[in-house]
Amino acid sequence: MTVNTTVNRVLLALAGLVLFALGGSVLAIGLGAPAPSWWLHDGRNDVLLDDSERTRWRDEGWWWPVVIAALAVVVLLCLWWLVSVLRRRRMAEIVVDTGDGDVAVLRGRALEHALAEEANRQDGVAEARVLLTGRRGTPRTRVVLLLEPHVDPGTALDTFTAGPLTHARTSAGLPELPSEVRLRAVKHRPERVT
Amino acid sequence: MSGTPDTTAGPTAPPAESGATLGGASGGHRRGHRRFWSARRVPAGLLALAVLVIAGWFLYDIAAVRAHRPGMSWRHELARQLAERQLDDVWVLTGAAVAAALGLWLLVLALTPGLRSVLTMHRAHPDVRAGLDRDAAAMVLRDRALEVAGVQSVRVAVKRRRTDVRAVSHFRDLDDVRKDLTAVLEGAIRGLGLARPSPLTLRVRRPGRKGR
Repeated sequence: MTVNTTVNRVLLALAGLVLFALGGSVLAIGLGAPAPSWWLHDGRNDVLLDDSERTRWRDEGWWWPVVIAALAVVVLLCLWWLVSVLRRRRMAEIVVDTGDGDVAVLRGRALEHALAEEANRQDGVAEARVLLTGRRGTPRTRVVLLLEPHVDPGTALDTFTAGPLTHARTSAGLPELPSEVRLRAVKHRPERVT
Repeated sequence: MSGTPDTTAGPTAPPAESGATLGGASGGHRRGHRRFWSARRVPAGLLALAVLVIAGWFLYDIAAVRAHRPGMSWRHELARQLAERQLDDVWVLTGAAVAAALGLWLLVLALTPGLRSVLTMHRAHPDVRAGLDRDAAAMVLRDRALEVAGVQSVRVAVKRRRTDVRAVSHFRDLDDVRKDLTAVLEGAIRGLGLARPSPLTLRVRRPGRKGR
């Protein structure tokens, strides 16, 4: 799981927990369940939030700054979250160790193209889409292979791993190139071979 | 399942450990079982947007009031409603039920892997995680099944616990067709290269009166 996935899931779980707890408690107490004495609501005739509860700290000097600061933090966090969800991380360049103490910079697009080209030439692959992600020193790839009907997916994957993927890894001088491969099939009508 | 001859091969299960026989080291085999987890981008984006809008709205109005500008009327209205509606009010109960259901849904989204249409493939290389689309798997099996002599049409559903194949055979002895189909399909399932191939359930019958 990537960091993004974890963040998304933790925040979704948090929001879900809050909504479920508040909604569930109001529902339960509103339908007549006994409320514990320390809870927000003390019975079905209580209101959601009365004036004294709402204005309890309003006259304290710290109240409004704290409210505003908290809201500002929430807004900023949500903005950051939204941006991180919307942004497609794509690697611009890879640093290649040339072996003589120098480094070369390889454009990410170039490696994507080379990998996709070679995969396209592979038997049974109708189309290959490659995306290079990860950080500068440790690139990862995400690959989608569209398979033609005659090829076994297991074979296609093995060929792809041993061929195009290994070539890309060695040509970029990378010790490892973690990849996520999705195999799909070209939609087609049932084919009779008799 | 009308009056037509109907032969059902029960779950002709490959042995439970068949994943290990797919030519892999058993060390990588266990890790290969991990399912693909969705990043949940769409729900995350929607939730972020919703919280952003609500918090931003409050922030704007509170800051405006602090700066001695008139506040918007919705906050007075909201405070009044919150202070007047009792917990057994129909709208309060409805809102609470919706909130609880939404919360439960978000929890389910957060805790389940999702991506049910992706079948994890066997991990031959430690760096490579691969997944095969369920539809693609079904299509491959369908094509292989159609190559068996006597098979007129096939319907394949690749499920988590079993692979359902329903074939209609218009000639040859049903038992022969079934034997051939079983051999071909088991080979094809092995060829899918899945981490956990689901056992085959095969049903072969004659074309019925109902068209198929």
